[in-house]
Amino acid sequence: MSDHGNGAAARTAQDEAAAQGRAQGLETGWTVFSYLLAGMAAYGGIGWLIGRAVHVPLLFPIGMLLGLGISIGYIIHRFGRQQVVERPRKEITGDR
Amino acid sequence: MTGEVGVLANNGCHIFNGCGFPAPGLQSFNWKPFFTVGSFGFTKPMLLAILAALVVIVFFWVAFWKPKLVPRGMQNLGEMAILAIRDQILRPSLGRKGDSYLPLLVSLFFFIYVMNVMELIPVLQFPVPARIGFVWPLVFVVYFLYLYLGFKHQGLLGYFKTMIPPGVPWPIYIILVPVELLRFFIFQPFTLGVRLFGNMFAGHLLLTIFTVATWYLLSLSVGLLYAAGSFFLAIFVFLLEILVTLLQAFIFTTLTATYIASSVEPAH
Repeated sequence: MSDHGNGAAARTAQDEAAAQGRAQGLETGWTVFSYLLAGMAAYGGIGWLIGRAVHVPLLFPIGMLLGLGISIGYIIHRFGRQQVVERPRKEITGDR
Repeated sequence: MTGEVGVLANNGCHIFNGCGFPAPGLQSFNWKPFFTVGSFGFTKPMLLAILAALVVIVFFWVAFWKPKLVPRGMQNLGEMAILAIRDQILRPSLGRKGDSYLPLLVSLFFFIYVMNVMELIPVLQFPVPARIGFVWPLVFVVYFLYLYLGFKHQGLLGYFKTMIPPGVPWPIYIILVPVELLRFFIFQPFTLGVRLFGNMFAGHLLLTIFTVATWYLLSLSVGLLYAAGSFFLAIFVFLLEILVTLLQAFIFTTLTATYIASSVEPAH
């Protein structure tokens, strides 16, 4: 393949990688947001139900905070670790 | 014409006339029906939604009515549109295997985009997704599709298992199950719909506020300066909305593609 062909292929690969990164970023962002809401709703709901049964209304906000904490912990566990991004290695030509 | 704009235009309501600012609000999103059939009223957003669907159908029909090997004119434009969706939305999430979903994603993107862009066209000037009732059917189509694909490709139990990553100790599993179930079945589709609705709702409200304020502040006095400031902001929001209309269609379609991908490929 000519240099021109290689350059075009490299640009296409870069464009594809950028588009993939964009799609992954969008998905991660909205998944994280959904986790925050779901954690508060799930444990807030459980707290509210128990609070209603035992007549302790405070269990509702406590449940929400607990759910938020669980969500944040889970988000850090699942998305917090930095992903190793493979970069194309530069050719060592020895003419530097 | 919506309520407060009509009042302004008809009554000449200005700041120095002793007329209070008719602040746009929810009434800017309610339309009197053009006609009614029993309890059903046919309103402007319904007309715009039908118009948007017709625009998309006619555009692609004209583009590919008689396709030629070397594309020209409308076919060129149609191919560019389809390839843009394929390369920027479908392939990054689904790869080449997902090409069978291209018609769905192309229709979804352009239908949402045309509905959004109605906001910026004079006379039409209303984004259909600013009425949330038009957003939920689109969300339900996506929701039921990715649930169906998930159960089909991974089985009932397998699909639930993939929601929580492997290697999690079982007590943590119990803690995470309610969060994951709510996230997956309620909040994922909820955020998909509410984001589109919220952005278009807010954009239309801002445009209406600054346009109404420009007219309201207009007078041959110092009010002219205020009107100029409001006019500048209206233009700024208008330019911003050109980007937002495209971006919201893009985000909705991209998230649809990633949700389909996570249903089809468990390890995604």
